Formats: sequence, structure tokens, C-alpha cells
Amino acid sequence: MSARGDASELASFTADMAQVPPPGSVVVSDWHRCKDSKEYFSKVLHKKRRKNFGLLESPVMPPHVAVDTVHYKIFISGKSGVGKTALAARLAGLNIPNMHHETTGIETTVVYWPVKLRESGRVLFFRLQLWDCGENALRRFDHLLPSCKEQVDAVLFLFSFTDRTSFDDLSNQIAKWTESSVGRVVKLVVGTKFDLFMHCDVSQRDVRDFQETWSLPVLRTGGEVSDGLGDVAPLLNCLSENLWHQDCVTAGPAGQRSQQETVTVL
Amino acid sequence: MMLQDGSTQLLCLTASSGVPLFTRGASKQLPFSVIGSLNGVHMFGGGQEVVLSSCETEGGGKVVWRVFQDSVMLIAVSGGGHRAPGSSKEEEVCLQRLLENVWNCMVLVLGQDELVNVRNVERLKRDLRSCFSLIDQLLEEKQEGILGTLTHCADSLVPPNPSLLQEAVDGFAQAADSEFGCLIVHGRIATATEKWWRLAPQEVVLLSALIRSLSDSGSASCDYPVFLPQGSPTVAHRLLRFQLLPGADVCVLCGPTPSLHRAETGLVGRFWSPLVETLRDCLAVGERCLPGSVSLRPGVLALLLINRETRRSVSCVRTPPHHPLGDSPSLSKARCWELLKLFYIFSISRYFTQEETPCVSPEERAQRGNSEDFLLGFSHQPQQCYLVTEECKSYGLQTAQHQLFLLLSPSVPTFALRTAATQTLSDITAATGF
Repeated sequence: MSARGDASELASFTADMAQVPPPGSVVVSDWHRCKDSKEYFSKVLHKKRRKNFGLLESPVMPPHVAVDTVHYKIFISGKSGVGKTALAARLAGLNIPNMHHETTGIETTVVYWPVKLRESGRVLFFRLQLWDCGENALRRFDHLLPSCKEQVDAVLFLFSFTDRTSFDDLSNQIAKWTESSVGRVVKLVVGTKFDLFMHCDVSQRDVRDFQETWSLPVLRTGGEVSDGLGDVAPLLNCLSENLWHQDCVTAGPAGQRSQQETVTVL
Repeated sequence: MMLQDGSTQLLCLTASSGVPLFTRGASKQLPFSVIGSLNGVHMFGGGQEVVLSSCETEGGGKVVWRVFQDSVMLIAVSGGGHRAPGSSKEEEVCLQRLLENVWNCMVLVLGQDELVNVRNVERLKRDLRSCFSLIDQLLEEKQEGILGTLTHCADSLVPPNPSLLQEAVDGFAQAADSEFGCLIVHGRIATATEKWWRLAPQEVVLLSALIRSLSDSGSASCDYPVFLPQGSPTVAHRLLRFQLLPGADVCVLCGPTPSLHRAETGLVGRFWSPLVETLRDCLAVGERCLPGSVSLRPGVLALLLINRETRRSVSCVRTPPHHPLGDSPSLSKARCWELLKLFYIFSISRYFTQEETPCVSPEERAQRGNSEDFLLGFSHQPQQCYLVTEECKSYGLQTAQHQLFLLLSPSVPTFALRTAATQTLSDITAATGF
């Protein structure tokens, strides 16, 4: 796989952090706009909306275009009210709750996302299971956090553009997930409520500085949900890219994700 | 009038000091002064050793109070207005049940200790927000065909192939180190382990409501700490829920193990993959709740059947309604559900005595006293009742085992109602063993 050689460009990385591939270097960005992606995306859509798959279901391709599905577990971290549940709903194409309710336990949401690898042209279904747990519940019940951490592949660190403290708290949160006990996880930072610029509490400059210090991808989300895939594609592609890259790094140069690779036919 | 017509507002205050904890329902909140007065008048009664439990306003509104565990006071205020005169008793039954359900739901999410031993009111206020989605669901009652919060019987669905599903639920629960498992289809219990039915009826209903709200959000699985209001109000259990197919969820109540991740990757596929088609058949039963083998008589618009022993119910509204004579304007589905609910409340508050449940409130008991006085006026216990209105005809019927509430088209002759009802009951029980 690519991206390992660009050491000069990525020189500022701290030692314990997995290298972040430059955007679009591993997977084809904006693939959902290409014609050849139609037959794959049609399997995750139903009447122009995202299809809801039960745990016993998965997108089914015709036999001659069998596509592998790779499974990942992603934990959504962030202060109460920052928009964790809303982000999970947005990424899965579900209705976003119009009122804020505390999430009182763990809720997971499954997103199927077709991805084309740049180098090999191979298509994969990424099955991204997002784990969302209310901050209060995490504090009240000790068993929830270990359960979220169990075999986790990535963490999305959320902050809200309208809540400065959620931004300032990022370093603490990230540090907790950088301890060696956690193992190797992909880390992405997502700023929510980007549309509410009137109440913006975090400047672009703050974000740039943060990005330089931590060398982590920072993505933005917010605003009306469009019915297309455009508003979620950058985040899902970035996440998929980093997950795949991490797997390749872990597995070595011949990197192929061997475990958990499944083709489900129902 | 204090509130707009037909809306209900719920107020929650600390019982000792009257500090408002939250208000829910109704778009326009009551002014603080009114909330204060409502609390004050109840406190005044307390000082005179009188328990104020309900009152009616001039505009036809209704206020119901109740204090739980000497710590939390709940007040329900309904706007009235749309009600027919003389239906205030029915409304009180509904509001009393609402308060009880709301309290139970607060215990379910937060546990009794946190509600009874309040150390920090601000913190309690914040924690109570966790209950809002469930409380709002109780207030809105927007889901048609779900009557459990009113009847305190579990809304059920009779699957076409019950034994296969029963086996799977039993096996799945056992593998998850649990004796409590259930399969919920379209928000109704399709099958459950024996122990699940031994939970208090209100707990079963409340858990169903919680599972419905989790399932509606479209999430794939959950690990939710829950306190059982009767069975375990101070120690949390874990409710694991897995969406097998959209509309079909399997749940278990368990202890510290297995983790959500393990149960999902290790058990869900093993027990349920072989049953995908059976589950699809079950989903196809839909909101009818009864399998295709049960055919309902023409003229039946809606029914609610309660098994008094198991505390389960099935209910359905026929679509499209039959008009054998073609002369009656058709009732909307929503109106049918509303009429069915109203007829149920009418029957149980006037004629049919309610089941003695272990968690009956003093208020409800007092009220039952009243209706018992009313019943004592009869030399016998009513077993059947009927009501003929312009919109439809209704027939209620109770046996030692069942209660049936039936809505029929106005074109069905009144003398035929009893036959229609008894036959409907025997048809359903014979075909399904419900």
C-alpha cells in the first residue's frame, strides 16, 4: 500500500501515533459521484434514502461481483450534548432526533459504506459500527467504557464549534486513548454544529493550531441533512481510509485484512 | 383555560421543598406561579391531613397529584376541552396511570436511590434528562395500536410459528447467562422466556416501551442499564437489545457478562441466522397482531383482547373497514384506535373490575373503592356491556380468563353484537391458544 514512503511530509508525527495517510491516497475520494460506483451504492440505498440493515442482513451483490465486507468498531467520544448521537444518525442516514436527549447507555449504529481502493481498484464494503454512549452513563456505570474499548478500531473525538470547553477538553480525551493499554486505534477529530457560525466559539485558527500539534485529521459536520451522500462522504471516506491504512501497517507490506473478512449472503 | 385543548402537561417537583425538577408535554408551559400554586394547594392539604389527589377545573381540565416515596411529586394537568361531559372519571384513570408510569420510568432509568436520597438537586435535574425520551413517549402516545401503558398488559403479537421462535429466545437468553429474554416485533412481544412473563406487568410494559424507543432510533444494538421498578429498584441490570431485522428486536436482561460486543459477534448470528425467514413471516403479521389463520367476522372494526392471567393483550384495527351495507362513512384508522381506547376506559372504569396488581396506588385503590360502591349497587358482577354511538357499536365481554373489547360497524344489528363478540373470542382462542 502507498503512503508509507512520504516520511518527509509526515515528519512531525509523534512516535506512538499511527501515520495518517494523506487524504485520497488510499481510497478514491468522491467515489460516490463516479458512474462505476452506482451498482455498489444502490445496495445501501432504498428509495434515495439509506437502507437500514438489521444485524442479520448486509448488502447483497450479484454472485459475479462478490464484494468483501470488512468490519470495524468505532467509538464516538465527546462531552455531553456535543452531538454524538446526532453524528451517528447522520452518518447512518437515520432521522436525527430533533431534541437533545441524554443517551443512557451504549447504542450502536451500523453504516455500510462502499469504498474503492486507489491502487488495486478493489471495491470493499466497510461495515462501520459506531458506538455511542452518553457521558453521564459512562460516569454512572463502570462497565460501559471497557465494553466500548473492547476490540475497538477507531475513535472519533467530537467537539462542538459552539462549545469552547468541548474543544479544550480534546487533548485530555485523546491522551486517554494514547496510553499503551488501549492498543492501536485510528483517531479522528470531528467538529460538530459547524453551521451555527453565529454562535461559533472555536476559530479556524484554533483548529489549525490543534491540527498542527496533534497531526490528526479534523473534519467538520453540521447543518441541514442533504438527501445525497455528499455531506457524509468526506468523513466516511477519511475514516475508511485511515482504518484500512492502519490494518495495512499492522499486517505489514503484504497487508491484507485477514480476520473478520466475510461475505454474507442471506 | 390553562392549557390548550387535549394536551397534557407533566410537572415534577421535589416533594419536600417544591423545587421544580422538570416539566414535559404541551408546547406552552404553565407559568411558574401556577406551578407554585398547584404545589401549594397540595401542601396545604397535607398540613390538614388531607391527601389531595385530583380536581377538575372550570374549563373541563383536570389536575392529578401524587407523591412517590415521600421524595418526588408528580402533577399531571390536562387541558380537557374536547371531552364529552361526564368523562372526567375516565380521564382521571388515564392520568393516574400516567403518573405511575412516569414514576416507574424514572426509577427504570435512574434507580430508586438517586430519586429518594436527593443530595444535589441540580445534579438530579441533569440526570433526569435521561428519562425524557421515554416520558415524552408516554405523554404523546403517538404510536397507534400500543395500549400497554393504559392496560398495563403487554402488547403482544401472535407469530405464525411460535415454537421455533420460543426455542430460539430460550436458547439465546441462556447463552447470554440470562433467564430473561424476549423477541419484540413491531413493538409488540412475539415471544419471551417464562421468566420474562414473571416480571411485574408494568415492568414488562415499560421495558417494551423502552425497547420501542431504542428500536425506533434505528440503532443496531444497545447495552442499557435498567432498574426494575418492582423487582430491582436499587440494583441495575443490563438490557441488551439487538436489531435482528428492521422491526424485529431480541432483548435479554443480564448481569455483568457477556459484553455487548461478545454477545453480538458470538451469539446473535448463531441463534438467529437460521431463523431469518421465520422472522420475516412474523414481521408480515404486521399490526394485525394475529396470524392469517384467524379470520375476523365482517363488521369487526377493531378489537382488544386481554388475557387476564398472563397479562398480555393483542389489539388490531381492520383496514380497510368493511361496510357490508355501504351506508356508513368510513372511520379513519386513528379514530378507530381512539374509540377502542375510550371504550376500554369506559368499560373498566364503570363495569369491569380491574385486576389486583401488587403495585396499585392508594389513589387508584381509593378510586376503585368508588367504582366498587357503584358496582355494589348491582346484585351481580357485570360480565358484558355494550355501547351504541353514531360512529360505531362497541361490545365488551369478560370471562375468568379474558376480556374482549370489540368495535363493530354501525350496520351490524345490535341484537347480533353478543354473538359476534362471543364468536370472535372463541375463534381467536381456538386458533391461537392466546
